[in-house]
Amino acid sequence: MKKLLIHIAIVICLFFVFDRTLGLGLKFLYSRSNATDEYKISYSNESTEAPLLFFGSSRCLHHYAPAIFEKELGIECYNTADWGIKNIYYHYGLLGNILSRYTPKTIVFEIHPCDWLKTPFSGKERASSLAPYCGMSDACDEMLKQSGKYWPYQLSWTYRYSGSLPNLLTGKLGSMDRSLKGWKPMSGVLDTIGVKAEEYPFPVDQERVALLERFIDDCQQRGIQLIFVESPMYVCSKEDVCKFPRELAAKHYVRFIDHYRDTDFVGHAEYFYDFGHLNKEGAEKYSAKMAKELKNIIGSPAQ
Amino acid sequence: MVVNSLAFLWFFLLVLVIYYLCQTKKEVQNIFLLVCSYWFYAQIDWDMTALLAILTLVFWLMGRGISKAIEQEKEKRASLLTTLSVIVGIGALFYFKYLDFFIGSFVKAANVIGLHLSWTALHLVVPVGLSFFTFKLMSYTLDIYHGKIDHEKNVMNFANFIAFFPTILSGPIDRPKPFLKQLSQSRLFNPDNLMLGFRRVLWGMFMKMCIADRLDLYISAVWNNFEHHSATSIVFASLLYPFQMYADFSGYSEMAIGVSLMLGFKVAENFKRPFFTINISQYWSRWHMSLTSWLTDYVFMPLNIKLRDWGTNGTIAAIMLNMTFIGMWHGADWTFFLFGIYHGLWYIPLMVSGQFFKKTKIQVNSHGWPTAPFVWKMVGNYLVVTFGLMLFHSNNISEFWAVLCRIPEAWNGSLFIDMPTMVNAAICSVALIYVDIQEEWFVKKRIYLPTFAEKWRWELTIAVEILAILLFGIFDSNQFIYFQF
Repeated sequence: MKKLLIHIAIVICLFFVFDRTLGLGLKFLYSRSNATDEYKISYSNESTEAPLLFFGSSRCLHHYAPAIFEKELGIECYNTADWGIKNIYYHYGLLGNILSRYTPKTIVFEIHPCDWLKTPFSGKERASSLAPYCGMSDACDEMLKQSGKYWPYQLSWTYRYSGSLPNLLTGKLGSMDRSLKGWKPMSGVLDTIGVKAEEYPFPVDQERVALLERFIDDCQQRGIQLIFVESPMYVCSKEDVCKFPRELAAKHYVRFIDHYRDTDFVGHAEYFYDFGHLNKEGAEKYSAKMAKELKNIIGSPAQ
Repeated sequence: MVVNSLAFLWFFLLVLVIYYLCQTKKEVQNIFLLVCSYWFYAQIDWDMTALLAILTLVFWLMGRGISKAIEQEKEKRASLLTTLSVIVGIGALFYFKYLDFFIGSFVKAANVIGLHLSWTALHLVVPVGLSFFTFKLMSYTLDIYHGKIDHEKNVMNFANFIAFFPTILSGPIDRPKPFLKQLSQSRLFNPDNLMLGFRRVLWGMFMKMCIADRLDLYISAVWNNFEHHSATSIVFASLLYPFQMYADFSGYSEMAIGVSLMLGFKVAENFKRPFFTINISQYWSRWHMSLTSWLTDYVFMPLNIKLRDWGTNGTIAAIMLNMTFIGMWHGADWTFFLFGIYHGLWYIPLMVSGQFFKKTKIQVNSHGWPTAPFVWKMVGNYLVVTFGLMLFHSNNISEFWAVLCRIPEAWNGSLFIDMPTMVNAAICSVALIYVDIQEEWFVKKRIYLPTFAEKWRWELTIAVEILAILLFGIFDSNQFIYFQF
């Protein structure tokens, strides 16, 4: 028994040493990676100091071209959005990390039903993409705790980078054009056969709503102008998808820009890559339109 | 509670400590094991725990009845009780798993010929592990009848055999004789068993989390949207599927065997590098071995004896029936029926050429590697298995047909590549293939890890393997493929 305990102790010590060493190596590679996801998350959390930030999931990632906004507004912009149906658990952790470094002037938040509905396909686990930033801010740690992975991430530094080794080693797989400043344009035109509106038959999740309200509070306390946006879809849901964000925005004096049913885009397959995502041409047109609107809004209080 | 989850880890650690604390009293250890097994089962399928207990009691009583009848030389009574036990076992399986399918199919067929029948599907929830524990139950009464074992006097030991928590969900399907014998002996704390068992658990986790779940990301992305994918992607995903199945189910089996070993039990092996085989007969003797050996002993052999007057045709008929049972065991759908028939058909050339009864050994060259003709035969056999598993993977015949039709339609499309997933899976698959090659042709024993690690202390090996799982593994995946059966 004594011998076995000694062996177990050796395993634990070896694991600890290897894990810490490998974890540090992976951290080094992560912060210097060119690969799309890793670079994007790393730059958003660690480096950007742009006064205008775009927040959201894949619709934000593909729809907002910072260069167009920069030209119109004359300020630096960065699109922090990430694909993979990210929701408020991820956004709130990311906001915490950014606020631990600097205070942007404006945040444009492309809000999505996953941010307030109890969607089974997008829950607390989405925050785990912030694993490499465990310990960076209280908000990030809180979201990682909610994802159920905080203690495993504390225990193992290697685990924080699970699955990303090939990307980190090569650093080039899916490399990102940095001049796009976080925007990911999509090429191709929607094949309209069988395209249906996306419905969200899920109840409102009070936990997510509370987090959204904390997101608003944190921005307002730091004097950040927060703007909620709903960008166009190819086919619109029968339900009023914007009802909840509109009411929430009104309650907290946040501006809400609703382009969900914008007829310049809805039904125009040539602007879409798939039913919910604009292609490059659509995103450029939409960004130009939004930039003009933002020019009048930035700096002015919500109605 | 999945075997590779954190919840199971805590549960098992607690079980292990208490289990060995009461090692001096075998009866206490067995009671504790039974409580743990039922608690584990209740966590997964609370509603069906009573069914498990009732079936266990019924079979134990029938076993006692058969044993008494044999003692009193009442052959008819023993035979009747054995038949009854098989009817109860098959009946439970049929009721929960196949009733809707058979009656639904019958009603459809009747309507085709103009008889207007109707049937409202019951949509019964199949108890978790039903296909596995009913086979264990039936083998108990059948073995008593055939004089292979004595009736187990202690109902608790019998209940432990049926509900043994490491194997109840997806096997291996253990036989009563070796398991009950182990239950009758004290299982003392043995560091070697603990270490070997832990290594097998880790190896199983590596196969499941780093290979099967990674490959699943790619295969599901293609198969679930096959109408949008090119033929190249569909064929590539189909070729990966047997390997994913192997990593998933063999990975689960490794974990189940490892956990059992840590508790002091040796349970049946389930896989023996099935893709290093040159025909379908060899393949099935190395794939899900506990199921195939069960069906060989209780279905194929009796049938073959009954049909021996028909010569080769009798053996072919027995094989076809056996393979149909194997197919249908996996689920109630025509895809599984055809899966069985398809494999059965591949036995016919072996039977006709006489290769079925020959033990063809794969020839190796002076370096120990298999020779080219045998490598090609292995590749051919892998392709045969792949086509069968395309049926297995399809939700119904129409889907299978639609996938097949899509292949010539979309022949010019490009290959869908999910580079990070594929690179992660490839790195880990190389490790698995390397280990399997070593075990098959060079080391000729189970090593569970690349041989270079054998030269080092096992502490180092384990630490590295845990790191590999943390680095390459997927921790939020679905359950094991075989849980549904």
